[in-house]
Amino acid sequence: MRIIGWICWRWKMGIIWKFFFCCCFIVVTLSIYGDCLSLEDCILKSYFSKNEVLTDSSFQDLLQDELSKFSCKLLPGDPNPQLTLSGLERRLIGEGSHRHLSSTIQLQVPPQSFPLQSCKLVMIERLPSGVFADPFELDHLFHHGAYAGIGVFGDTNLELPSVSSNRSAVEIHMNFEHSISSGAMSELGIRIDLPLHARYAPLHESGYSEVAFGTPDLLVSCSMEGSSGMRSCLIVPSHDSNRLRTDVVWKIPCGIMSHTNVVSVVTFATAFVSTLVIVFASVLYPKPR
Amino acid sequence: MTAKAPMNLRRLLIGSAVFRLALILYGEWQDAHMEVRYTDVDYLVFSDAASLMASGSSPYKRTTYRYSPLLAFLLLPNSVLHRSWGKFIFSASDLLVGYFIYKILKQRKVAEDLCLYSVMVWLLNPFTFTIGTRGNCEPIVCAMILWILICLMNGKIIQAAVWYGLVVHFRIYPIIYSLPIILVLNPRYIQLGKKPLLVNWKSNAHRPSSQSGMEASTRYNLWTAAKSMFSKERVLFGLVSGGIFFLCTGLFFHLYQWEFLNEALLYHLTRADPRHNFSVYFYHIYLQYGRQLSLVEKLISFLPQSIVQLVLISTFAQDLPFCFFLQTVAFVAFNKVITAQYFVWFFCLLPLILPWSDMKLKWEGLGCVGLWMGAQLHWLLWGYLLEFKGQNVFLQLWMASLVFLLANASVMAVFIRLQRFSPIFLQIKVSDSKSGVKSQ
Repeated sequence: MRIIGWICWRWKMGIIWKFFFCCCFIVVTLSIYGDCLSLEDCILKSYFSKNEVLTDSSFQDLLQDELSKFSCKLLPGDPNPQLTLSGLERRLIGEGSHRHLSSTIQLQVPPQSFPLQSCKLVMIERLPSGVFADPFELDHLFHHGAYAGIGVFGDTNLELPSVSSNRSAVEIHMNFEHSISSGAMSELGIRIDLPLHARYAPLHESGYSEVAFGTPDLLVSCSMEGSSGMRSCLIVPSHDSNRLRTDVVWKIPCGIMSHTNVVSVVTFATAFVSTLVIVFASVLYPKPR
Repeated sequence: MTAKAPMNLRRLLIGSAVFRLALILYGEWQDAHMEVRYTDVDYLVFSDAASLMASGSSPYKRTTYRYSPLLAFLLLPNSVLHRSWGKFIFSASDLLVGYFIYKILKQRKVAEDLCLYSVMVWLLNPFTFTIGTRGNCEPIVCAMILWILICLMNGKIIQAAVWYGLVVHFRIYPIIYSLPIILVLNPRYIQLGKKPLLVNWKSNAHRPSSQSGMEASTRYNLWTAAKSMFSKERVLFGLVSGGIFFLCTGLFFHLYQWEFLNEALLYHLTRADPRHNFSVYFYHIYLQYGRQLSLVEKLISFLPQSIVQLVLISTFAQDLPFCFFLQTVAFVAFNKVITAQYFVWFFCLLPLILPWSDMKLKWEGLGCVGLWMGAQLHWLLWGYLLEFKGQNVFLQLWMASLVFLLANASVMAVFIRLQRFSPIFLQIKVSDSKSGVKSQ
């Protein structure tokens, strides 16, 4: 009986251990991608499930498909809910190889027709070649409440220089929290900070490589009542391009090709001089008297 | 004095343990409240890999996990008990290294106060206590290396071989110690089943060592030389350590396939990181990145390291701790990639050679420390301007790495010049070898 009891105890402990390990694994997996579980998972996840490499044209095609499939119109012919992107300002904050890309977004929303509580902002940042986002750093920020959800897709190798790496993209979900009502419209302001890191750039005689950021894709995703229950839908805010200030350029220091020969020769010469210092010290070492 | 002495080591170890515990707790606070973490990024990699292993997945699904699965296995309790479990293990290893240093020096009859100062050189070194408490696994490797030395000093060849095979599997670089270990396993000095005679600290100061051994070697004919090259001690050490290494490699290859081989072994053998680091080769690698190097170019980058290792081994192998120390400094200095954690590899060996050094703190010792630290700080200054201020200072940073290499070579030359050669083993006399005399 004692042996049976011991076996049962070991069996129960085994189940408990496995339960804890599974929970830990689930937490680890989810935390990297955060809340990307609506809209057929993230839009970028759909993209990278069909494409290996990020290109702007194929991404735009996919985005159009997603928008037509998940439109917020209740019936064909219904007008899209009116959302206007009234301002977008982008800045690169910091110096050196580790900076923050700050995006300040202003949206105008008609409050009566818009269920803000069930909506969130989706920003897709297609990063240029030459910079990357660290998924583990973003996971840390996600757990500190910086985002409602975040995912990094594409080439997330943290170590390769840009000549050996492909582009990556970040999808960020943010809740709408603050609004200022003025008459029939609500003004929403959201600021998103995305920490980025520079890859080692291709060689250039000027000593600097310029990386230009494009305009992010901004969408609003909402849950709405459909014919078969709650469903998610997407809205693209209309915007006036003149009011969007999106030129951001990052100058990254890079190696200079004309240094190559001198660097190679002097490097190996120094290595050999150091070798000679150690060899002579060893050869001239006074052995035991 | 004898009754008080163990208390001082105990107090030193307890005080060091309490300090490390405080640092671990502080690290938890900093991680939770500040944007810049105290914990090393590598520790998060180990923890994630351990979580994956716990769930039955490969630890190599975690990008940048480039270690043995044994490390992830050691950190399994991170997911279950507390995320700082690994830091406690690494800090405990760090304290164990301190204890092993004391044990090795005591076994060679080094004076008590010198033993304690040597232990302090390790335990109170800022590199040492930050590396374990930040979650870096190098203290485990250091503890294994010192344990191998202790096994050899006690004639436990098979045990030394098992640990040696394991440590090479764990961290590859200790492969550089294979030749000096094989050389020192000379049947004239160490025989299977018998505790070898050690050259102790006091005796070395007053009598010439190895002269009788050197005379004896001239009487050897080729047959005797060949026989001793393939002595049973050497063959056994090679077979057992090689067997353990291949057993571990085979087991983990069976479990994790090519991912394990590529990430844990081949990556380290072929690594050429173009990003800035202390190595003289970083800018050369960056400028040549993507270009296929010729055979001559590959050989030239390999030669300095090979020549230095061979010269050091052939000159100092009999003084095993000193040989290990010099080899490790040279290996790190001439490597294609150098990160600060590699310095711990020779910091753990430095206390073992200090009792035999004629280097005075003023001004040779302080001069060496100043030169080495100064060259490092100089590099860090340019590194800061490049990485955190975005200035193109590649050329200056590269020149700083040249200065750092020259500083390492100069410090090595000073150590060599001021070190009293002390072979670790005494030659066994023929009559003594039969009776198995245990100590001098």
